[in-house]
Amino acid sequence: MTTVTAVGTYLPPWGSARGRVLGPDEDAVTLAVAAARAALEQATTAGSATAPDVRRVVFVTRELPLLVGGNAAALLAGIGLPDDVPVVEQVGGGPAVFDTLGGAEAGTLVIGVDAAESGPVGAAAALVAAGDGAGVGVELVGRVVRSLPVLSRANGGGARDYSDARLERERGVGVAIERLDLTDKPVVVAGLPAKQARALCAGVPPTLPTTGASAALFAVAALAEVGGGGLVLAVEQGSATALRVDGVPAVRRDEPALLAPEKLTRTPGPDIAISLAAYERAFDAKLRWDAGACDACGTLALPPRRRCLNCGSEDGWSLTPLPRTGEVYTVVTVHVPVPGLPTPYSLAIVQLDGVDVRALVKVTGAPAGTVQIGDRGRLVLRRVAVRSGIPDYGYALYPDAATAADAGEGAVR
Amino acid sequence: MRRVAVVGAGMTAFGEHFGLGIKELLPMAVSEMAAHVDKGLNRDDIQAAWFGELTTSDGFPTGILADTCGLLDIPVTRVENACATGNDAVRNATYAVASGAFDVVLVVGADKVRESSARSTFWEWAGLTRDMAWDYPLGLVAPANFALHVARYLHESPATKEHLAMVAVKNHKHALPNPKAQLRYEITVEQALNAPVVVAPFNLYDCTPQSDGAAALLLVSEDVVERYTDRPVWVRGVGLGLDRVMHQHKKDMTTFPPTVKASKAAYAMAGIGPEDIDVAEVHDCFTGVELISYEDLGFAEKFGAYKLIENGVTSIGGAKPVNPSGGLKAKGHPPGATGVAQCVELFEQLRGEAANQVDGARTALAHNIGGPTAVSAVTILSSQRG
Repeated sequence: MTTVTAVGTYLPPWGSARGRVLGPDEDAVTLAVAAARAALEQATTAGSATAPDVRRVVFVTRELPLLVGGNAAALLAGIGLPDDVPVVEQVGGGPAVFDTLGGAEAGTLVIGVDAAESGPVGAAAALVAAGDGAGVGVELVGRVVRSLPVLSRANGGGARDYSDARLERERGVGVAIERLDLTDKPVVVAGLPAKQARALCAGVPPTLPTTGASAALFAVAALAEVGGGGLVLAVEQGSATALRVDGVPAVRRDEPALLAPEKLTRTPGPDIAISLAAYERAFDAKLRWDAGACDACGTLALPPRRRCLNCGSEDGWSLTPLPRTGEVYTVVTVHVPVPGLPTPYSLAIVQLDGVDVRALVKVTGAPAGTVQIGDRGRLVLRRVAVRSGIPDYGYALYPDAATAADAGEGAVR
Repeated sequence: MRRVAVVGAGMTAFGEHFGLGIKELLPMAVSEMAAHVDKGLNRDDIQAAWFGELTTSDGFPTGILADTCGLLDIPVTRVENACATGNDAVRNATYAVASGAFDVVLVVGADKVRESSARSTFWEWAGLTRDMAWDYPLGLVAPANFALHVARYLHESPATKEHLAMVAVKNHKHALPNPKAQLRYEITVEQALNAPVVVAPFNLYDCTPQSDGAAALLLVSEDVVERYTDRPVWVRGVGLGLDRVMHQHKKDMTTFPPTVKASKAAYAMAGIGPEDIDVAEVHDCFTGVELISYEDLGFAEKFGAYKLIENGVTSIGGAKPVNPSGGLKAKGHPPGATGVAQCVELFEQLRGEAANQVDGARTALAHNIGGPTAVSAVTILSSQRG
């Protein structure tokens, strides 16, 4: 028996009734970080004052940003985990997430992410309690692994759609569920269109925002709407995994109100250059949102620097976490086409709360030009640019106004 | 230190010189300067040269200057100080003459911006001034660097976007009679306000064009000035100021501390104050920068710049005309050439020979800010020996 301490979810604001889509500064890593942070914040709120004990991260997605070069360090830094936590980068969908969660060791953080360009996208994460932590029990009921590749995507190739919904329904999901030989009806099913899921469930299941890896954990989170635990199913083409969840887990949702995607101009041009030497030097401070604190006088510097901005000491500095909220000191919006960057975009200098530090960042999650001087927001990890093929992560300002309209949904359930 | 005089000045027209390379523009500017020395210039008299250039388009800058201008037997030093390069080249040459090391030196400024594809120019130039890991990937295009300041300035001061437009209207009007100017047409406040947005709060007419061009000055010591002219223009003061390079480290973005420092140094050296300036060429790469600079240079009190532009004080005919040449805004802005070309304009103003003459101008100030806002150079010129 595994105990789930908390579930966190994240949806980008952009999209339509058909589902959410990636912002121009998002990928599977930034989505994973947002969901994982929501889960860990919930675990901290629900449990002790100490940071949750995370011993292992399993990152399940079919949209790994890099196949060579690695996503794990960015993921750990963005979530705020030490760099000695093992990360499994797993290609998979909903059943793979349940396979992992059902047998997860104590302290495992399972993250499922859907980040296909075509959408729908979203991310959800579940933290498995370390030791005898509080939470809801989760147990693997059954699994069937079959092949019916109605949708396929080869390494480096484009996606193919065989396009036979009835075959998929009858010989894929239908046979898989039959083979599971379930004793009762599921309360939520991940991986199917709403209508199809409804036909399989006891009662009316909540509609899930995605159908891939994240959907399995969105299904667990949705038990709050069901009003209790039960059998939860994740299916994908010919395969399925069933999980029994013993109750309603603690859930924190980072799901801002829906916005129509911005009309962005993409201008081709030469690759944006990158210095990997500079990248490596900046990595920890830049992805963990840390300042350099002067060892002599404590003055904070972003980025960290050898010579203190205040006392001039060059004796050393230590990384120290920065506040993740602040107020806009000045802001501008770039409308001219910029090769390699989608336009328009807003750039802001943000005065961070409670410290004498300002940060120059892009604005995320709100249409360009809508943020004003004096507006407040929080700093979140985003993909600032892709430079010569390498995702360059950093922090962006997510204005509070953009999420305020949805405070009810964003609240703890 | 010895007194230093400008005795010759010349420049190419500013514009998109697709048909001319740096190897053509340099000798054109130097030869025009030489042709305008009242009593003539024997090129062998030039003992050293300072060459201000931000980026090189055809290779090794000082070698190109020496080679293309027939100056193979003198030392040539390249000066690069972002958009303050031009006036910093003047400053370095001034000290070389004032010290007694040389009697006759050449100052040249040039840049060839329209030499690479429009799509690659941005990232090439951004690399000159941005932190590679922290700022470069954000897409801080040149106007954005200054817009961050001006947005805050508009927030704190009574100035509005209309005042920005008035600066553009004034400088376009000033450029009309200037044969060297790149944008010689008038615009209205309405046109400026309704133009396409480049980087809010800047519209198209708030921004300098991209320009190619070169400018040259001949600086001589007081000991030899009479060999070249009876109407010299004296370099009365020079100054350079710096600030933190990252915007996030600048405490008050409604001012440019480098300008305050550079002008303070130049005024002190000249023994005068801002009230003594009759005409100025001010770094108006973006309209709002001209307004902020009125305050930093001491022409207006804090947040009082809008009154000067509103009341026509800085137009030709006003009490303190600014950018009679059209400024960077309408004359053009090949960065390395800009400051030198400002001094070319002021040389002509102080000798009563300018295309857009300010009546009775005796003392003048040239100002650059760059890096993007971390360095400023100021030069004070006067027809009065002092």
